[in-house]
Amino acid sequence: MRRIGIVIETRDGDVTKNSLGAVSAARGPDHRLFALVADGQADTCAAKLASHGAHTVVDMHFDGDPPAAFDPVRLARGVAAATRGFRLDALVGLSSAAGREVLPRVAALLDAPLVMDCLEIRLADNTARKPLYSGKTVATVRLSGGTIMFGLRPNVYRPSASPVETDRVSFSVPADPDDRLRVLRVREPQSGAADLAEADIIISGGRGMGGPENYRLLEACARALGACVGASRVAVDSGWVPHTLQVGQTGNTVNPRLYIACGISGAVQHLAGMKTSGLIVAINRDPEAPMVKTADYAIIGDLFEIVPLLTRELQRSA
Amino acid sequence: MKIHVCVKHVPDSAATITVMAGGRIDENITFLLNPYDENAVEEAVRIRERLPDTEIVALTVGGEDAACTLRSALAMGADRGILVAGDVFDSRRTARYLAAAIRRDGLPDLVLTGKLSIDAVGCQTMFRLGALLDMPVVNAATALTLEGRRVVAECEAAGGGRLVMETGLPCVAGAAKGLNAPRYPTFPDIVKARKKPVETIAAGELAIDAPAGGVEVLALEPAVQQRRGEVLEGSAREAVKALVQRLREVERVI
Amino acid sequence: MDNEYDAIIIGAGVIGCPIAFELAKKGYRTLSVDKLSDAGMGSTAASCAIVRAHYSTVDGVAMAYEGFKYWLDWENYLENVKDEKGLARYMNTGSILIKSKGHDWRKVKNNYDVVGVPYEEWSVEKINEMVPVYDLHEFWPVRRPEDPRFYDEPTGMLEGAIFCPEGGYMSDPMLSAHNIMRAAEARGSRFVFNAEVVEIRSENRRVTGITLKDGTRFDAPVVVNVAGPHSYKINQMAEGVWEGCNIKTQALRHEVMHCPSPPGYDYYNEGYHTSDGDIGCYYRPEVGNMFLIGSEDPECDPQVWVDPDEFYAGEGGPGRDNQLTESQWKAQCYRVAKRVPTLQVPNQPRGVCDLYDCSDDWIPLYDKSDLGGFYMAIGSSGNQYKNAPVAGAMMAELIDACQKGLDHDKEPLQFKLKYTGRSIDVGFFSRKREINTESSFSVNG
Repeated sequence: MRRIGIVIETRDGDVTKNSLGAVSAARGPDHRLFALVADGQADTCAAKLASHGAHTVVDMHFDGDPPAAFDPVRLARGVAAATRGFRLDALVGLSSAAGREVLPRVAALLDAPLVMDCLEIRLADNTARKPLYSGKTVATVRLSGGTIMFGLRPNVYRPSASPVETDRVSFSVPADPDDRLRVLRVREPQSGAADLAEADIIISGGRGMGGPENYRLLEACARALGACVGASRVAVDSGWVPHTLQVGQTGNTVNPRLYIACGISGAVQHLAGMKTSGLIVAINRDPEAPMVKTADYAIIGDLFEIVPLLTRELQRSA
Repeated sequence: MKIHVCVKHVPDSAATITVMAGGRIDENITFLLNPYDENAVEEAVRIRERLPDTEIVALTVGGEDAACTLRSALAMGADRGILVAGDVFDSRRTARYLAAAIRRDGLPDLVLTGKLSIDAVGCQTMFRLGALLDMPVVNAATALTLEGRRVVAECEAAGGGRLVMETGLPCVAGAAKGLNAPRYPTFPDIVKARKKPVETIAAGELAIDAPAGGVEVLALEPAVQQRRGEVLEGSAREAVKALVQRLREVERVI
Repeated sequence: MDNEYDAIIIGAGVIGCPIAFELAKKGYRTLSVDKLSDAGMGSTAASCAIVRAHYSTVDGVAMAYEGFKYWLDWENYLENVKDEKGLARYMNTGSILIKSKGHDWRKVKNNYDVVGVPYEEWSVEKINEMVPVYDLHEFWPVRRPEDPRFYDEPTGMLEGAIFCPEGGYMSDPMLSAHNIMRAAEARGSRFVFNAEVVEIRSENRRVTGITLKDGTRFDAPVVVNVAGPHSYKINQMAEGVWEGCNIKTQALRHEVMHCPSPPGYDYYNEGYHTSDGDIGCYYRPEVGNMFLIGSEDPECDPQVWVDPDEFYAGEGGPGRDNQLTESQWKAQCYRVAKRVPTLQVPNQPRGVCDLYDCSDDWIPLYDKSDLGGFYMAIGSSGNQYKNAPVAGAMMAELIDACQKGLDHDKEPLQFKLKYTGRSIDVGFFSRKREINTESSFSVNG
């Protein structure tokens, strides 16, 4: 019998789809799943967690009031304590922004092996598949030694229903007299271009954009996608966008999971800057354009019609 | 003030990666200083510009080739370097080597490193260092303010926001890209760096308690780059719907 | 589909397109074929597109100065054709030729005097005034960073420089080839892409046409080899051509670096193209306020000759494939960093790696061949981009004259340069020549 903990993330008081995906991923014939929930969210989450296979919903309670902001230090303490308290063999969480703050802290507290950004996990043999070397290779790794920990790449595991009988347990996390680290507050996102080289998703515009004012179409789509906006050399040379947005040999080399090229013909110099992207989508009027020939998916048509439709479809189906 | 900067020797993100037998890659390619570690070195240099009596020591774990990454850190402003000659895949092991080398050199006020390394993307070594050195850890810092012994860090959070955290020296801080704009070395900097001392310590010299188990690479394969080449047909509306469905359900990138 | 033409031009790069254009102006029905998918996508796209006149021979200077006049008058040269991709632009930065031991600048100066190229002699003080960021110590001889002597303190100062106000570069070279293609099309030229030539057909020692990889056959009494780094492969397909050349061509690998300009220095708008033999580099401004840094092939740098097909397929391993190497990144950037002590060199190599179609003496071959009707405009050796429009006009005249009976080998064509008024003996570019010892044997030409 393997005892597996899932570090649950919530948004607006409800368990996220990705966390339900993590629960689904952790299921197995001899697995007992412990969903670790913090700050009184267990009430709203329990039913969904049960229907996806969590045998125990652990309601982690901390002394004092809930924090004003997301507190990864406190959460990590709770998860580590629960891991010990419930004698968990393995922990599954998400390689999300929150997960990257919590899971490594837990791993450090437990001195446990941890693999982040997993594309696939197999608890049966303690292995996972994850990208290595700037996304150009995929490694199969095996973890051993104490509680093993996995951080799943978001969106890779979808929730699947598998209802079980679930019990709810309250777990009191001992207070930590060491308060050397405090979360003061959260600052809201500020405008300003995120670094293209770090972007997971990029939507780029080229000659087909026609002028600087049309980039707001890409910006709207980028917001719907959670993406950064890029450009080809033509757009930069024409003065439509700053050089920091340029993708290509004389601009940025990028390696996002998804690259959407709008009105970009795909000259060698541009391709050199993005051809290792996980997935390439081309939106272009010209079916013979090199970018269309290189892409995974292409839509042949007018980008001024297609991009707004894409933005609306993304918003609609979110 | 004493600052230790932990840096890593990694393949250039633009380098061609060729998978060889035994889960390794062909290392006859450009290796360089991990880009996020550049931000860490730069931050140390900026702190020294404000607090002139500051020593910056760059440390790395790796093979003898890693010495050239130490030279890059020295050229960017570190005063001296320490190379722990050993293997560097498992973060628990790396953190132990670094912590032992740091203790041997004398505990600093601040440990800086990049928020992740672009080859392994483990995102965890700084936290392990903090646990081993008994120091609090702030990570993915886009702003770092030191006021006496008080440290305020703005750290990357979900949705592009920032978590503002407060701690005190000594602490460990992981650098994000937005922390600063690294100033690369000029030729005079490069010439100066050639004379800065680099000490090599064999991993075996450091008395570490080896961790049980770890992370083992069983296999390595190229990420498949065979493009589908599918043109989505139909009206614009239909094609867009099909695209979003593919991206969500099939490719799972959004 | 029409498969018979008056002339077939193999290669739609920056030299192939003007040849098609000029032949079309003479009334030829031309077909251009290129194995890539658009004009200028081969080695043209990687060209530094520098326009400067300092060649080691009088004819070299004359031709380059003539070329400059064409770039300056771009729209008119193109007969005001519209190109949906826009027009390439000539950026006049002026050109500084450092007086160094790496460059026979006295010969260049004489050539300038003969041809009538305007220039100024700049003292070290004058250079300091015009370009305060340059450190004008003499760093000769050129070394590599692996050599500890690379870091020796310099002792003497340079003598100065020769400044040409008329020099700069074209932004961007691929677009310039595309522009010329549109101009040629307006004159009736046809262009076919994704068309790889696998056979050059001939009969009775005269060329009759070409065959493509997909089996398509095109017939013409004139075939011109403008295949860039693949030129030697094309020559070897044509009967008797390769054997009839005393000067051969082969593909030479080259790396060009892009390094950000020092903080506070607007190199893009204020900087000069500089030919710096003292450090074995040339550099010019590039989009993004970068220094584009090319190598003048100093002796200490290895020369890497490659098979162009393997190269473009990314094969051959580090130092032979089409990826930049760290060692050459450091070599070229650190050399310029000596001249520009505020230059900050990033850890990550960035730039372009491509091929020169290099002749045995780094002087091109603009010539007929031993096969009737088969001509070549090859061996550009990294230094002919600037001459492309001139080469187009010269080749068209050569081809037309030969087709009408001129025995060019016996009585070489004299080509009149329309802007500078000088006459060039086209025999200078003969495939039969002995290696020209006056040549600089480098990209300087």
